[in-house]
Amino acid sequence: MALLQISEPGQSTKPHEHKFAIGIDLGTTNSLVASVRSGKADTLPDEHGKHLLPSVVQYSADSIVVGSIAKENQVKDSYNTISSIKRLMGRGLEDLKAQFKSLSDVLPYEFAETDSAVPKIKTAAGNKTAVEISADILKALKLRGENTLGDKLEGAVITVPAYFDDAQRQATKDAATLAGINVLRLLNEPTAAAVAYGLDSGAEGIIAVYDLGGGTFDISIMQLKQGVFEVLSTGGDSALGGDDFDHAIAEWIIKEAGVNSSELSSSLLRLVLQQACKAKEALSESTKVEISVEFSAANNWSGTLDRDILNTLIDPLIKKSLMSCRRALRDADVTKDQVLDVVMVGGSTRALRVREQVGDFFETDPKVDIDPDRVVAIGAAIQANALVGNDAEGNLLLMDVLPLSLGIETMGGLSEKIISRNTPIPVSRAQEFTTYKDGQTAMAVHVVQGERELVDDCRSLAKFELRGFPSHVAGAARIRVTFQVDADGLLSVSAKEETSGIEASVEVKPSYGLQDSEIEAMLKASMEFAGDDKDARSLREQQVEADRVLEAIDSAMSDDGEEMLSAEEREAIMQVRQELEISRHNATETQQLKDAMSKLEKVSAGYVARRMNASVQKSMAGHQVEEFK
Amino acid sequence: MSDSIFNLNYFEIFSQPVTTDPDVDLLKEKNRELQQQVHPDKFANSSDAEKRQAMQKTSLINEAFETLKRPVSRLQYMLVLKGVDMNGETDTSMDGAFLMEQMELRESIAEVRNHSDPLDVLDKMLVDLKSKAKNLIVEFAGFYEHEDLEKSRETVRKLQFINKAEKEVKEIVEQLEDELI
Repeated sequence: MALLQISEPGQSTKPHEHKFAIGIDLGTTNSLVASVRSGKADTLPDEHGKHLLPSVVQYSADSIVVGSIAKENQVKDSYNTISSIKRLMGRGLEDLKAQFKSLSDVLPYEFAETDSAVPKIKTAAGNKTAVEISADILKALKLRGENTLGDKLEGAVITVPAYFDDAQRQATKDAATLAGINVLRLLNEPTAAAVAYGLDSGAEGIIAVYDLGGGTFDISIMQLKQGVFEVLSTGGDSALGGDDFDHAIAEWIIKEAGVNSSELSSSLLRLVLQQACKAKEALSESTKVEISVEFSAANNWSGTLDRDILNTLIDPLIKKSLMSCRRALRDADVTKDQVLDVVMVGGSTRALRVREQVGDFFETDPKVDIDPDRVVAIGAAIQANALVGNDAEGNLLLMDVLPLSLGIETMGGLSEKIISRNTPIPVSRAQEFTTYKDGQTAMAVHVVQGERELVDDCRSLAKFELRGFPSHVAGAARIRVTFQVDADGLLSVSAKEETSGIEASVEVKPSYGLQDSEIEAMLKASMEFAGDDKDARSLREQQVEADRVLEAIDSAMSDDGEEMLSAEEREAIMQVRQELEISRHNATETQQLKDAMSKLEKVSAGYVARRMNASVQKSMAGHQVEEFK
Repeated sequence: MSDSIFNLNYFEIFSQPVTTDPDVDLLKEKNRELQQQVHPDKFANSSDAEKRQAMQKTSLINEAFETLKRPVSRLQYMLVLKGVDMNGETDTSMDGAFLMEQMELRESIAEVRNHSDPLDVLDKMLVDLKSKAKNLIVEFAGFYEHEDLEKSRETVRKLQFINKAEKEVKEIVEQLEDELI
C-alpha cells in the first residue's frame, strides 16, 4: 500500500493512548488473569466474583467447560476432565513414564497411540495435547480479560516456572498462539512475584522468592534496586509441588485402608486424591482431621490424619526444595545472612510445615502477608502494562537468567556445556565444529538442556542437521553454530561454514515439542470451529491497518500538505479521512473498513505520487536517504 | 547509545580501564544502567530489526559483564586483548613446586571426611585458597604490565587450578551440610 511508504518511523503510539494488556498466571491447579487499571494492578474476577480459575478442562462432544464446574465433574467424568495439565507441557511420553512413579503413575487419562512424540489424551472431543488443553484455559482467561476491560487486548505476559526448560516454555508459547493471544513476554513466576512484592514494599536489596505451586517449585535469588529486578540465580524442580503432598497423603490413605492401589478405578483414585487435598488444606487450620473414603461397599475406611503424620509425609519433599535453595544461594554467591526477605509464593506455601522449614533454613521469618495465589499474576500485569508502553516513568527492568545449562552431544554421549545455568539472558554463544570424515558435507547436532554429564540424563531439546557445506578433508571444515537465547529464555540456532561463508541450513526437529505443521493444523482446526473468533480477529487486523493508514496520512499532511495540495484537494482528502476514522471505530464488518481505506487511497493517490517525485528529486540533489519522510 | 558498542572491548563497554582489579560494584551499576537503555523489553513496540538489535546488544553486554565479573575469565580476556587465546591450548607447562602443592591439597580434600570436624578444615582451606587466588591475580598484574605474556598465561593456569579446588571444596561442604539437614 502506497500510503504506508510515507509514514514516519517511531510515531506508532499516540502519547496518552492507553493500551490494554493482561498478565496471566497459568498454574498447575489454578490460573489467574490480572491487569493494571487506573494505575493499580489487580486480578480480574469472573461474573461470580471469583478470581481463581481452576485449571481444569472438561471435554464433551459438543462443548468445552473450563474452571470450577469442570472441577466438580472431575470424579464422575474422570477420563474427559483434565487437570494439572501443566505437568505434561513440553513433555514426551518417555518423560512422563520417568516422571510419574508409584500412585501418580496411574494418570487417570487414556493416552492415544500416535506417531508424534507429543502425548495425546483421549477425550470425548477427540485427542488433545497438553498445548491444546492449556490453550483452552488461556482462552477462558483471555475472554475474562476482554470482557472486564471492554476492549481488545494488545497482548499478554504469561508466566512460567523459572525452572521450565526450553521445551516447556515453547509449549506454553504455542498454547498462547493457539488461544489467539499475542505473547508480549514469557515471564518467570518468581520474577513476577518479586515485581509485585518489590514495587509494593519498596524493598531494596537481596531477596529470595520461594515459589511452591501445585506442580512446580522455583527458588530465585534476586537483587532489587531502583526498579531493576536482577535475577542472580534460579533453581528448582519442575516436577515438585503441592500435588505431590496430595499424592503422599493419598498413598498413606490407601496403605492405611489396606487397599491395593493398582486395583483402584480412575474415579476412585480421583476421590482419594480429592480427600487428600482437602485434608492437607484443613491441617493448615486445625491440628487433626478425620478422613473417610468408601472404597467399596465392604470397605468404608475412615481414619485420622494429624500434623505430625502429615509432616513425616511431606518432609522429604520440603527437604528436596531446600537443597535447591542451597544451590541457588551458592550459584548467586550470596550467603543466607545477606538475604533481606524471603517471599513466599504459590498456594502450597500455605502449609505451615513449609513456612516453618523455610524460616529455619533462611534463619528469618518468611513474608506471608501477600496473597500467594495472586502475586504472580499481578506482577505479570505490571510487566505487561510496562511493555505496551503505559509505564509513565519507564524504569521497570527485569533481568533474568537461563535456568538450565544448554549443551550439545559430543563423542561418547557426553554433554558439552555451551551456555551454563544462571547466565544472564539474552545471551549468544558460538561454538565451532569440524568434520571427522573426508568429503563430509553434513553433520548432526543434538542440543540438550540440563546439568548432568551424560546426554541421556539431560533433556533432549532438538536435533539439527547442518547440510550443504563444501566438501573438505576431515577436520578442515569450520562450522560455526550460534546459540541465541532470547529474553523469554527460548533458544534459536543458526549455523555457518566459515571457510566458504555458506550458511548451512538448519533443520530443527524438536524432540518433544510440536512440529510447526502440527501447530498449524491445530490453529486451522480451532479456526474452523470458531468462525466468530476468526471474524473478530480479521476485523481487529483491519482496524490496526486503518490506524496505520490514518497515521500515515496525518503525518504526511502535517509535513507538506500545505505546500503540495490545493485547498480543495486538502479538503477532499480530509473528508474521506474522517469517513475512515468513523468506520475505524464503528464498522462491524471487515469489508466496510477495507472499502473506506481504499477510498482514501484513491483520493490521495495523486498526492502520494507528488510526494514520491519530490523524494526522488531530493535524493538527486545529494541528500541522505534517511532524511526522507 | 550508538551501534559502536560492537566495536568496543569489554572494559570499554563499562567505561573501565583494562585492569585485573575492576570495581565490581561499579561494573554492576554500569551494567544496570546500560541494560536500561538496550534491553529488548525497552523495544517491545519497535520494529523487528530494532528488537533484534536490542537482543544482540544486550547479549553482548551480558557476555562482557559475565567475563569481567570473574577473575579467571577476566584475566583470560586481558590476554585475548594481547592476541593470546587460551581456549584449547596444548602447552600447559607449570612449575613443579606448584603442582606438588596442588597434589597435596587434593589429597587432603579427599581425606577430609575422616577428620573430626571436616567443615572446620574445609573452611580453613577456603580461606587459604582465596588468599592464594588473590596473590596470583597480583602476580598476573605485574607480568601483564611488563608484557610477559608467557608468565601471565602460566599464572592464569595456576588460578584455574585454585578455582577448581575451591569448587570441589565447596561441593563437599554442601554435601556435608545436606547430610546435616
